Amino acid sequence: MSTSVLKRVVRRETHSPRTVLAVVVLVLAALAAMYTGIEVVLHLLGLGPLLVAPGAALAWLTMLPDEVPQAAVVAGGAVVAVIGVALVWLAVGPGRRPKHELAVSSHAVVVDNGVIALAVAERVRRELDLSKASVVIGIGHRSADVTVRPEPGQTIDKGRLREIAEAELASYDLSPRVRAHARVVRAADTGGLS
Amino acid sequence: MNATNRAVNRIILLVTGLILLASGAAAATAMLSPVAGEVWRTSMTTTRDWMVHADQATRISEATTASWFTVALLALLLLVVVLAIVVIARLGGGRSSRVIREEACEGVQGAVTIRHGFAVDAITRALTGREEILSARVDTRRVRGADVLHVSVTPRQNTSPADVAGTVTMLVDNLATLTGRETPTLVSIRSGIRSRLAADQSRVN
Repeated sequence: MSTSVLKRVVRRETHSPRTVLAVVVLVLAALAAMYTGIEVVLHLLGLGPLLVAPGAALAWLTMLPDEVPQAAVVAGGAVVAVIGVALVWLAVGPGRRPKHELAVSSHAVVVDNGVIALAVAERVRRELDLSKASVVIGIGHRSADVTVRPEPGQTIDKGRLREIAEAELASYDLSPRVRAHARVVRAADTGGLS
Repeated sequence: MNATNRAVNRIILLVTGLILLASGAAAATAMLSPVAGEVWRTSMTTTRDWMVHADQATRISEATTASWFTVALLALLLLVVVLAIVVIARLGGGRSSRVIREEACEGVQGAVTIRHGFAVDAITRALTGREEILSARVDTRRVRGADVLHVSVTPRQNTSPADVAGTVTMLVDNLATLTGRETPTLVSIRSGIRSRLAADQSRVN
């Protein structure tokens, strides 16, 4: 089987393509270019501008440091710069989707983190005899947080909880590997027993 | 997953981001520091003078106010618009309608061609018949010249993804045995609104 093709497919499935944002940016850029073009043509035809004539806009830009309330321009510039930083961050960042690759099959398998979390929760619930609402699991890129709220009177060993979750995660052979962190939360009304 | 050119998307974001960052930061510093303000004023004046000069020097004829400079400017703006449209139009794609195609001319009945629909139907039917799977969708993609089968399934909540992967793998392998050809396959196991809604109807524990 062609593994390089599958590798590429898995990468495309687990990383965001950034398409929506790119389309928004492109549409805005096209609109800005069209508007500028319209103003230039209107100026050439000797007609009045829609909003501002090209020459006047340039003059305003040149005199920017002397005119208008300073605070407004500084704030505007800062906002534009922050949007710029956000775009650069999104362009360079990895853009991972909340998914993991499973190495349990000869084919490529990609699973939503939500599915993994629910399956691990089910296993923990069955092994430790807990109610449905008392197990909360969050799956991150490299770690899983397992939080358990036992019923009053029930004792849960943290080490065992971690072992069960690790065993279930290990059976999926996730990549990147996910480590389990266990937490047992005592209800306040149990009188501080642990 | 489709054939969108992701590098182009990222380059667009990067270039736009850098332009916005530079102009925003320049405007803000020009207001805050008198030195930067002076630099802003002189550089903008120089640019403006250059544009006015270029405009006057390249007049098309004595009678009009139009110049080759404005024509070039308009062409540049048009280029931006056209590029944006081209990039948006090229998004997506990569679907293929052919998974397995055998042109075996030896057969008594002639050539045998197994098209996309066969693989899709076979796998979708087999999957939706299973109790732990709520919905299944199969399509085929062309990636680097190879056909790839993409099976996405939404299992019932609390189902082990390893079990689901095993089920799908078995079906795909059976199909491969039947047709005598292996297709690279991607299996996506998704969580969705449907699995959340169907959670309460799960088997008795």
